[in-house]
Amino acid sequence: MSTDNTISPFMLEVMKSAFETVADELAIIIMRTACSSIVRDAIDYSTAICDRNGLTLAQGATTPLHLGSFHDAMSNLIAREAGNIREGDVFVFNDPYLAGGQHLPDIYVIKPIFIDGEIEGWSTTVAHQNDVGGIVPGSNSIGSTEIFQEGLRLPILKLFDAGVSNVSVWKIIAANVRVPDIVTGDIKAQVAACHVGEREFRKLFARLGAEKFRQCCDAIHDYAERLTRSEIARVPDGVYRFRNHIDGIGTDPQPIPFCVSLAVSGDEVEVDWTGTSPEVRAGINAPVPFTRAAVYAAIRSVLSQDIPNAQGFTRPIRVIAPEGTIVNPRSPAACGARGITGFRMIDCLMGALAQAVPDKVGADGSGGATIPAIGGIHNGAPYVFVETMMGANGGTAGSDGQDGVAHVGANQSNIPVEVIETGYPLRIERYGYVADTGGPGRNRGGLAIERVFRFLGDEALLTIRSDKRRFRPFGLFGGGEGSGSLNVINPDTVDETLLPVLLTQPYRLKRGDVYKHVLASGGGYGDPLERDPEAVLADVVLERVSVEAALRDFGVVIVSRDSRPAVDPAATAAARSRAEAAA
Amino acid sequence: MTKAHLKVAADIGGTFTDIALFLPDGRLATRKVPSTPADYSAGVVEGMRSLVAELGLQPSDFAEIHHGCTVATNAILEQKGARTALLTTRGFRDVLELRRIRVPRLYDPLYVKPAPLAARNHRYEIGERMDADGQVLVELDEGDVMDAVAAIKREGIEAVAVCFLHSYRNPAHERRVGEILRRELPDLFVTLSVDVLPEIREYERTSTAVINAYVGPPVATYIGRLRDGLDRAGFSGQLMVMQSSGGTLDAQAVMDFPARIVECGPAAGVIGAAHEAAQIGTGNVITFDMGGTTAKASLIEDGQITRTDEYEVGGGISLSSRLLKGGGYALKLPVIDISEVGAGGGSIIRVDSAGAVKVGPDSAGAVPGPVCYGTGGSRPTVTDANMVLGYLNPNALAGGTVPVDAALAQASLVRDVASPLGMSIEEAAWSVYVVAAANMVRAVKAVSTYRGRNPSDFVLMAFGGNGGIFAAELMRQLQMKRAVVPAAAGVFSAVGLCVGEVQFSQSRSFLKKIAQVDYRELDAALADLERGVRGRLGSQHSRLTRRRSAAMRYVGQAFELGVPLPDRAMDATALAEVCELFEAEHERTYGLRLDGFATEIVSLDVSVSIEGSPLQQPAPAHAQASKVAERRAYFGPDAGWLATPVVERSQLARGGMTGPLIVEEYEGTTVVPPGALASLDGRGNIIIDMEAA
Repeated sequence: MSTDNTISPFMLEVMKSAFETVADELAIIIMRTACSSIVRDAIDYSTAICDRNGLTLAQGATTPLHLGSFHDAMSNLIAREAGNIREGDVFVFNDPYLAGGQHLPDIYVIKPIFIDGEIEGWSTTVAHQNDVGGIVPGSNSIGSTEIFQEGLRLPILKLFDAGVSNVSVWKIIAANVRVPDIVTGDIKAQVAACHVGEREFRKLFARLGAEKFRQCCDAIHDYAERLTRSEIARVPDGVYRFRNHIDGIGTDPQPIPFCVSLAVSGDEVEVDWTGTSPEVRAGINAPVPFTRAAVYAAIRSVLSQDIPNAQGFTRPIRVIAPEGTIVNPRSPAACGARGITGFRMIDCLMGALAQAVPDKVGADGSGGATIPAIGGIHNGAPYVFVETMMGANGGTAGSDGQDGVAHVGANQSNIPVEVIETGYPLRIERYGYVADTGGPGRNRGGLAIERVFRFLGDEALLTIRSDKRRFRPFGLFGGGEGSGSLNVINPDTVDETLLPVLLTQPYRLKRGDVYKHVLASGGGYGDPLERDPEAVLADVVLERVSVEAALRDFGVVIVSRDSRPAVDPAATAAARSRAEAAA
Repeated sequence: MTKAHLKVAADIGGTFTDIALFLPDGRLATRKVPSTPADYSAGVVEGMRSLVAELGLQPSDFAEIHHGCTVATNAILEQKGARTALLTTRGFRDVLELRRIRVPRLYDPLYVKPAPLAARNHRYEIGERMDADGQVLVELDEGDVMDAVAAIKREGIEAVAVCFLHSYRNPAHERRVGEILRRELPDLFVTLSVDVLPEIREYERTSTAVINAYVGPPVATYIGRLRDGLDRAGFSGQLMVMQSSGGTLDAQAVMDFPARIVECGPAAGVIGAAHEAAQIGTGNVITFDMGGTTAKASLIEDGQITRTDEYEVGGGISLSSRLLKGGGYALKLPVIDISEVGAGGGSIIRVDSAGAVKVGPDSAGAVPGPVCYGTGGSRPTVTDANMVLGYLNPNALAGGTVPVDAALAQASLVRDVASPLGMSIEEAAWSVYVVAAANMVRAVKAVSTYRGRNPSDFVLMAFGGNGGIFAAELMRQLQMKRAVVPAAAGVFSAVGLCVGEVQFSQSRSFLKKIAQVDYRELDAALADLERGVRGRLGSQHSRLTRRRSAAMRYVGQAFELGVPLPDRAMDATALAEVCELFEAEHERTYGLRLDGFATEIVSLDVSVSIEGSPLQQPAPAHAQASKVAERRAYFGPDAGWLATPVVERSQLARGGMTGPLIVEEYEGTTVVPPGALASLDGRGNIIIDMEAA
């Protein structure tokens, strides 16, 4: 690596830190100015600073499932537009098949940074827009069968042409989305962030001068690659396979298999999805840039936290995704709700990684955002309530599964009950844990979370993107499965209706209807009969596990002593040996 | 200034307690004494007593005793607060533990959340419900409350927080529960959420109320003990405690709102900086406070401190918290906006597996400390690197009181940095110095460029034990032109306590689109807030300054910007002014306006302060004719090793000196590199000016 001769280790660290600071700065601008809940609360957007070749130097700390997502977009942009890029241009696009995008709601806004007439870098952003048209509000219909139904398709266009706003493009965008103010507002925030990126990039460039600056960019990629290789080299060589499923679509769900083969050899890994389901006639196909992003996020999660999100990090990781599968669909396969497929890829890969590095991953969890969405017209104005509901994790080697945490693929927030009730014709009747749901294990899985909505308007449409009712969160090393998800209308009444996990047709809510949404829980890690009885007692005291489940799932007998719960050691030993004999 | 009006201040840190007081002639006297963790108040009283006696003063000469303490913070960080219960709306006891779901670390499947400060079985659900307009949907079930009272007695609970849904719209149920609890459990510390944070968003309000309850009993115990100790030593002056917002408040009032003092230590330094900046006529300052474990930065613009209420206690090193929340306990009360990175003198250095130098966030702390202290530390720290570079005295630190061994520092740096990287020891130490400064740059950028401010338009005010060592390198990396290292920089938080103003503020929800604001309702809400705030301060004060502000945003946004409200009755013109101020600030901060978007007010804040008695100019330091020492110091590969004069601060009084230069004093060291000019102003501040590049 020739660059080592000219770029000192401290220069490298200083510049790496500087690029990360700028990438975060862009992310802050978007988060604080955005008007859509998907951007400001769910943080479903990303920012990056790229070098002159369009390779990511640093990415803002936002959405893991966007990791590496600028690579395909940038290489596509540079290949298609070479010779047509001018100072002051700002590009916009979203199409997965025409422009290296992920799905239509993710709109990229990208600005080349010219210095002395040369492109020296790129300021890049991608944000999940609230709506881009199509057959359902929010543009992530599970029922779509081809991309033409999913909304506005933007090939690579100039939003600004040499500094001049391209009014036609803005008008086309505004005319094709349900909430034009919010969408154009968020795009403006992306443009503002790009300008800031350009300004800060120029300052860094001026500090080093062209030659040193370019060497530094190359050195950052090499450094990321070296660190990744040295980390992968610690993972035992071998081929680790895992199989997982999405439950299936609509009222007659058929399992959608995911098969992964993770080959670790020396300081490289190859992730092969051969055997995974063919593309499906529904909006959950994941274009291959998203598949790569999911793989990078999962692998990254078991390596050192120090690895920078620079392009070089991906060099030792090879992804094989056969064309025509759900992880590499062909045009015009629908992909609006492909997020679930990304989450499931990560979960599946974690199952494989658990065999290689059992201390570094946990048992399966609730599986990423389920996105209950309720839309209609209230007091004469249209509204769309969308929430990214998460989540429980499985147990790990060192701790019980966490509950009330985001999926490792997307660090998203809930929406406060008081904010929901202030803004929408909804009342939340319960939001909390469900006892006795965590997968049994030496380290227990996290508890399921439920939210009960009561609809107060006249009529509304409900959609959901849940999963894991039939194929429940897996345990590891003897730990039990977690509990499954549920969507129930008017529970415990004569009208009780069980909805499918993935609705292809929205459900029509009437005034007073109750919708109970229960997430899947986390799987257990290790044999539940080895769980410390005192830990089981603590769970009983905290009303996370009932006295009955303590015995049934963990073989621990809890009795009342001085009117407080206590472990009965002798009865516990007996119960556990009976359970072992039965096993 | 007569003696009866003297003020003395004490600031408790992990290792030292700093005492500061202004003498009748305006001169500053300071003292560092060891902290006494078993009972911190003992060290405070003893330190004050000995300093006052030495100066020939009497404890009764002091009308006010200003204090900054870590008791609230430590209770949370060490999980040693009161055994706390929560009473909340039926169906929602897990709100506290579910938090906002987001986690502070990306790519970390092993992340473990902080444990809730009120355990699940001590969170009691009460039958009651309000809707979003404050209408009662379910009447309060007092039977449930009495069941909770019985359980609270049985479980040995020491403090209770009450938080019901939508109580910020209608507090009736919370108030009624408060009455019952105080009647049934008169010895219990009770916090109603509507009293600490009458604002929308149940997690933040619940968490704030629970923190207040959790730290209430330990803070009350501590303040009681301190008061007793002061009384016994003859200090009869009023005891004032600094809040996280930088305002001080009578100790009795603090006991009702103990959560307001959680971040008072870092706040005091910023208050000191703001005061000094005003004295030297500098409105725009970035503060830089570097101690043993962290470096902190804050922004002062046009003389105004920047505050925020997006804060988490115990979130660890909080720089990235602007993007990654969830690491600590949400505390939505006014706090000075301070960003922090884990780079202090004790930060440990390592080389990662791909050959990059890393500094922190692990710290050797006070024990075992840097290697050069010879107290058992084996891993090289930033202080060890500074010693190798010649910046620190190779024999003893802190004015000769802490003996050090430079050879130990050198050996550790060779072993852990220079050898693995195949570089010379000075190159290795220089790498550490520059990388540590790069980490600190992130803290500075987080309070400046992240808000659309250009650091080069600001003066850097560097304090804390290590602030002066890194000031010049920070200036270089941020293209800043001037730095100030104030007198008593090493005990600057105590100085800040001495100059702090009595101040209290209160906020409340006021969610209204601008177009729908009823002026009379707005005026009434502001007047109501002001009455409450004045009530807390007591009515005997005449020179009160009020500041009213609104948190505003474009409709649809989730983050607000604070906008000052005109100091007159509100009308259409005033509101139009406020809107324009908001939009201008939005454009300045984020680089855009959202044309065509409606704006809205989210909450109101009223702050009232009592002007402190003006301080006299400290007597200028006199030039002393002490000998100029010299040692070799390294200033990077271009300048190399240079023979560097080592002077005392007072020697700068004879005129400016160009770098290389090291100013060595009891409380800290200031490094002036080649190409910089150091001088002393009339107040004893070291001014460092960079030569134009």
